[in-house]
Amino acid sequence: MEIVRVENLCKTYGKGEARVEALKQVSFSMNRGEFGAVVGESGSGKSTLLNCMGGLDKADGGKVFLNGRDLFAMGEKERTVFRRQNVGFIFQSFHLIPELTVEQNMIFPLLLDYKKPDQERVEELLEVLGLENRRRHLPGQLSGGQQQRVAIGRALMARPALVLADEPTGNLDSRNSQDVLELLCQASRRYQQTVLMITHNMNLTAVADRVFRVTDGMLCELGGERS
Amino acid sequence: MRHYLDLVSISAREHKRQNKMTRLCIVLAVFLVTVIFGMADMEMRSQMLQAVRSDGSWHAGFVANEEQGAILAARPEVKRIARYGALNYYRQDGYQIEGEETLICGFDPELLEMFPAVELLEGELPLEKQQAAVSETVRRRLGVQVGDTLTLTAPGGEALSYEITGITRDTALLAEKDALGISLSMEGFEALPREDAKAQEELYYVTFRSFTNIQRTIREIQGQLGLGEDEVRQNAKVLMLLFQSRDSYLMQFYFVAVVLAVLVLVAGVLMITASMNSSIARRTEFFGMLRCLGATRGQVIRFVRKEALGWCRQAIPLGVLGGSVVVWGLCALLRFLSPGLFEGLPVFGVSYMAILAGILVGLITVLLAARAPARRAAQVSPLTAVSGNGGSVQPAGRAANTKIFKVDVALGIHYASGSKRNFFLVSGSFAFSIILFLAFSTAVDFMHHALTPLQPWAPDVYAYSKEQKNLIPRGIREKIKDCPGVKRVFGRGFGELAVTTEEGEETLILLSYDEQQFAWAGDSLIEGKLEDVIAGKGILLAFREESILAGRDRLSVRREGNAQELLVCGILENIPYYSEAGGAAGVAICSEELFSRLTGETGYGVLDIQMEGNAGDQQVEEVRRRVEEACGEGISFSDKRIGNREARGAGYSMALFLYGFLAVIGLISFFNMVNSIAMSVSARMREYGAMRAIGMGTDQLIRMVLGETLTYTVFGVLFGCVAGIPLNRKLFTSLVTSRWGEAWRLPVGELVMMAGIVLAAVCLAVLGPARQIRRMTVVDTIGAE
Repeated sequence: MEIVRVENLCKTYGKGEARVEALKQVSFSMNRGEFGAVVGESGSGKSTLLNCMGGLDKADGGKVFLNGRDLFAMGEKERTVFRRQNVGFIFQSFHLIPELTVEQNMIFPLLLDYKKPDQERVEELLEVLGLENRRRHLPGQLSGGQQQRVAIGRALMARPALVLADEPTGNLDSRNSQDVLELLCQASRRYQQTVLMITHNMNLTAVADRVFRVTDGMLCELGGERS
Repeated sequence: MRHYLDLVSISAREHKRQNKMTRLCIVLAVFLVTVIFGMADMEMRSQMLQAVRSDGSWHAGFVANEEQGAILAARPEVKRIARYGALNYYRQDGYQIEGEETLICGFDPELLEMFPAVELLEGELPLEKQQAAVSETVRRRLGVQVGDTLTLTAPGGEALSYEITGITRDTALLAEKDALGISLSMEGFEALPREDAKAQEELYYVTFRSFTNIQRTIREIQGQLGLGEDEVRQNAKVLMLLFQSRDSYLMQFYFVAVVLAVLVLVAGVLMITASMNSSIARRTEFFGMLRCLGATRGQVIRFVRKEALGWCRQAIPLGVLGGSVVVWGLCALLRFLSPGLFEGLPVFGVSYMAILAGILVGLITVLLAARAPARRAAQVSPLTAVSGNGGSVQPAGRAANTKIFKVDVALGIHYASGSKRNFFLVSGSFAFSIILFLAFSTAVDFMHHALTPLQPWAPDVYAYSKEQKNLIPRGIREKIKDCPGVKRVFGRGFGELAVTTEEGEETLILLSYDEQQFAWAGDSLIEGKLEDVIAGKGILLAFREESILAGRDRLSVRREGNAQELLVCGILENIPYYSEAGGAAGVAICSEELFSRLTGETGYGVLDIQMEGNAGDQQVEEVRRRVEEACGEGISFSDKRIGNREARGAGYSMALFLYGFLAVIGLISFFNMVNSIAMSVSARMREYGAMRAIGMGTDQLIRMVLGETLTYTVFGVLFGCVAGIPLNRKLFTSLVTSRWGEAWRLPVGELVMMAGIVLAAVCLAVLGPARQIRRMTVVDTIGAE
């Protein structure tokens, strides 16, 4: 079942000589439960692709369909609400809210909808992430690996259809990187969520179903373990 | 980039917005301090000008003989000394010119330097025994000129002749009493025949040199010359303005001034510290990075100092200049409102005290506040910084409470209250605005009590019958009204009726009012109908506590055997005339027509005339001529223009400065709140970007900012009231209750006004960041830094 479809996505930065075409007519789609990895040189357009797919940034041309809905056809407010319910983001620098505990950070997207979180789901995720004993801790009291696990928990909590991870292991050591990767795999396999992850580490692409390479704003599929 | 300190300007370019707001905050704080101190300085100067004009610039006066005077003059502290003597001050001792009591004074020519109000209009001052200078009134009434001879009759009947050498301007007292006055040389004054020894006394007026401890010197002189307390005079107003008075009330006044000055300084310090604290996280991270790169603690401190001095270089001159411009504007306004009185006030006056206070508060606070992030950065271990964990998450002390409030509001509240230091600084700076406002508002209460305002009915000139008879014909009003320079003319008749009360027959004073006076009376009508009184149906009674006439609908009155009933049509809260009414049972007011019916008299006892602002002596003279023409000899005149001008001037200057203080405090509070919130939001933009990325809507972010703003505001207002109201009470007691006995009341008006300012500030404080948040692009924000 197709979850996300990208059609002729274009994005340009700057003007005149400083003009950079970050994305050139990018098109692809992903199905439910697929785990995709995006590789490419720095500045090739990987993050731009992810930001446009997640509705954080607006493309200059093309469309992104998520669960059949055109992201760019929505108004700002509608897109924000749709995004927090359908897209989970994981960033390299975690972006946790220092004033909230581990548990509060994880349920934050639900709180933004003024919904009461499903406590069973919270317990389950805390267990999967190995953070049961850290639930009342503040981000400042956690290690980098633990913080990234909290960020993953937050991305998965609302059961979004698509999880976008921008170099989630960039700030972590190899052991923590491996843990994060396993968690993302679980999201894809166990919870049937579509995951698209940017990485510089080719070793990490081994677990991906599909691997894409972005070169000078153009996307090509390299294949993957399952493909 | 040649030097590591060049990074300061590069960093400034990168954080343009944040730096702009920091500078704005320094500008505001310096402006506040400069304006308040500058205004206080200018107000002191203007009060000094008025004090010198009305009372002279002398510091102390000693009743002394010639020998003691010589000792006094020889003292090193004495800068200027002049003898002065006055005779027939109350115009009842028998010194007369052409049969009219005359006030005589004798003085050394040096005295003129101490009394600028004594102005020589023509000729010269008398230097010889047989010479005299006469006042304007003498010249006008007796038609004498410089060079003429004048004869003064002493109480014993001796006739003394003087050659007139000059004409002096009337003093306020001479003009009001329409009295004749002559000035003699000291030699001539001493030669006057006197009836009692006390009249021989002469005063030595003294001005001391700068930096003299005047009170101590006066005590020393008293001891040296063996003078009693009643033989020493002090120029209270001038000494007060020189901070040289030891009067117990003035000591309380100084205490209030010191409290207010300290409050202003603390408010300035708090504002700057609070603003700099809002960017402490970003700056700590940056300085931490510098330390990791190998910068020593000293280098970081030098960096901080250069950065801070950069802010000061632009912000302090701007704040000082802005403050000075406002003070100049107020001085110009004062000169415009009362040109005669304030021409000595400089338009572009420089208040060194204000500038110094502004610079010191700005510079010292900025340098100290800027060090805090550097100190904190120095405590971060380089290892922590290098690992990348140091800067990724700014540690919070405790978690936000999402159980009571929704997450957006909860985070807003937490942002405000999470850091105790920040919370104290920001809400403290808000609180200080309220405390300042409440403290300064007591000065306005003081002003209302200290200055008897010039009431709308206050006349500039008035004519009255010498024997308290209603000799001025009513028809004269029309004649005077046509005179050039006359603004209003209104008159009153006075009569007495016998009124029957439970305690027997008492006196009721009856006044007749014309339309103009009835119009003013309307404002103080407590009950009843003014129209009925105007129509002649009855009388108005002036309210008096426990009056035996209270509660009566009708009064039985009698005059010269004719008894009749008078209808009481209303009660007036107060009337400007006969407020005490002596031993009379009360004061009643009626129409002119009823007055004539009751008393049989058709004239006025007093005719009040208000002149246009630009009316001069000639116009007043014309009025006087017409009155004299119509009424003949039995009329006296009183010219109150000088006194009125002084009262109006004192009122203008004090009101202008005090309301100016309040306006500046209100305005600064407003901008401080707006700027503090804008800075706080600006410092958190990266976090807001992350929240937007996670899915927070702009409305939710704005609610979060509102939550933060309201937290600061609510607690700021609370702290402000908790500290401000007792302070208001203390200052009110010192300034007002101790002198006029009025009890303190909760300053509701001031609180409501401050609440209005705070509310407006909250709205504007949220509006700016809301616009910024709406414009924010998530990708750029989270990608920044």
